[in-house]
Amino acid sequence: MIADQTRSWSDRNPDDCAVYTKGVHKAYRRGAAATPVLEGIDLAVDRGRCVYLAGPSGSGKTTLLSILGCILSADQGTVRILGEDVGSIGRDERTTLRRTRLGFVFQRFHLIRGLNAINNVCVPLVLQGLTRPKAQVRAMALLEAVGLADRAGVDPRNLSAGQCQRVALARALAGDPELILADEPTASLDAANGQEVMALLKRLTVEQGKTAVVVTHDPRIFHFADRILHLENGRIMDRAEQPAAAMAAAGG
Amino acid sequence: MWSLALETLAADRGKLLTALVGVVFSVVLVNVQGGLFLGLINKAGLLVDHGQADIWVGHKQMHNVDFPRDIPRRWVHRIRGIPGVRQAEPYLVGFSEMTLPSGGFEGVVVVGLDGESLLGNAWNVEEGRPDAILQPDGVIIDQCEGQKLEYPKLGEVREVGGRRARIVAMSRGIMGFLVAPYVFTTYERAAEYLHKSPDLCSYFLVELAPGADAAAVCDAICRYIPEADAFPKNHYSWISINFWMTRTGLGISFGAATLLGLFVGMVMVAQTLYALVLDRLGEFGTLKAIGATERQVYSILLAQAIVMATVGSLIGLVLVLGIQHFYSTPRAPILVPWWLSLGGCALVLLICLVSSLLPYQRIRKVDPMMVLQS
Repeated sequence: MIADQTRSWSDRNPDDCAVYTKGVHKAYRRGAAATPVLEGIDLAVDRGRCVYLAGPSGSGKTTLLSILGCILSADQGTVRILGEDVGSIGRDERTTLRRTRLGFVFQRFHLIRGLNAINNVCVPLVLQGLTRPKAQVRAMALLEAVGLADRAGVDPRNLSAGQCQRVALARALAGDPELILADEPTASLDAANGQEVMALLKRLTVEQGKTAVVVTHDPRIFHFADRILHLENGRIMDRAEQPAAAMAAAGG
Repeated sequence: MWSLALETLAADRGKLLTALVGVVFSVVLVNVQGGLFLGLINKAGLLVDHGQADIWVGHKQMHNVDFPRDIPRRWVHRIRGIPGVRQAEPYLVGFSEMTLPSGGFEGVVVVGLDGESLLGNAWNVEEGRPDAILQPDGVIIDQCEGQKLEYPKLGEVREVGGRRARIVAMSRGIMGFLVAPYVFTTYERAAEYLHKSPDLCSYFLVELAPGADAAAVCDAICRYIPEADAFPKNHYSWISINFWMTRTGLGISFGAATLLGLFVGMVMVAQTLYALVLDRLGEFGTLKAIGATERQVYSILLAQAIVMATVGSLIGLVLVLGIQHFYSTPRAPILVPWWLSLGGCALVLLICLVSSLLPYQRIRKVDPMMVLQS
């Protein structure tokens, strides 16, 4: 069991953890053939922590993130997100959990075309049933927080990649989620923008007491993590407690 | 959801325009085809609709105002004796020929009416006066039939049924379902033009006393004269219209063309919505990933379909008004009553909603996992 604090596994109450998994297995099936992707993932992330999932392509990082984001179901094992046993709830409840308690940042931003920056940030709020004026007040505050208040009315096509990711970050925070899940958030950014976005993510999650799980293989941003878990062949291999150790392991 | 749907729809202007063309096409087609049909079919009951009579009495099983069967004129006395009848006058309708200045002839429908009451006379008289038919040899014809009748002038003398006829007034817009122009004159003169005995007529036009019940009077007339049928004005107009509808397949051909137009519109809207969805699969995946329910996702499509239908319908209706204004003529009237426009738009809305089901099936299959795999 990999825990992000030094307490032993037996001491931990799954309900106190933002993320708690035990014996998670996942395989992708094509016909009769099954390719295992995750093999017995045990993980506990305390609330308010920023944990990175690192590892080479095909190691199962994104699959694990999808399971933690209630987008994918585990074949086997226990997954508790923010105290909810997501294996025992239905699709609608998982959708509600994503909408109300989780925030997502994607590698390619996935902003909605045709909506300007502020309206993109409004989307999760509108999905939560907020009226457009109330949503825009909240969205503007978030754009200010990410330093894009003056770009609120700009179409994302006219924003730089770094600015788009900051809009996506504001969108992820819009619904006031307890857990932020980020998938390779710096992969489409240059080094400077990557540092800037991750610093912002770190600052906002710390300021607002959020938990963050970040998938990345970018060693340049490891220093923002409270803890780095190294995945390989569907297993957590690296149990380094300090970011520096993981950076060394990754050659960063 | 509405704002999200509208803004994303407006962002794809090319596709929006394509869909709007489909909707506008459907709305215009339904309204203009329907309007032409109504305009044409309403001509079948033209004499009845404008005849000023409350009840039409004719031979048993009469089925078309332009094709009457002779009945004895003396029945009029029995009708006048029925309670609730204020006035009853004989009316003659029959086919004859008018000579033309070029030496040719043109088939005409002669309409003979009571000279005193002028019940069933020509309307919309624009040249001369309606009562001018009381003048010797006086007839009223319609200006719009000028081409067929070689542009007769007021005061010009022609022959109808081999008898002298002088054009004393001209109406505008009295063009029946038949190709033969109407010629209005007095009952007696019409009998001459038609070479009929003045003891026979085609109909009795009945005006009701104030407060009299049309259905009750019709029943009484049929009881007193078992060989006759009597119908309230609207009913007989419908019988005349139904005659052409059922015996010519007119309704089917117009209806088929309209349905075809609706189908084309539906395909265009469905195709456009589908293309919009295909183009935005990733975005729908994103919405699902961040917690949009199936219902919310479908409501975006529905909202887009409703917007397309509403905007397209409004543009279509404006075009229909323009077409009606510039192209509706007495020969080919385009009648677009409010219920046709409303019904047409409702149908188009329904089609747009149905069209949104096809792309929805595609969206349902979108796995939010796709946004994490890119």
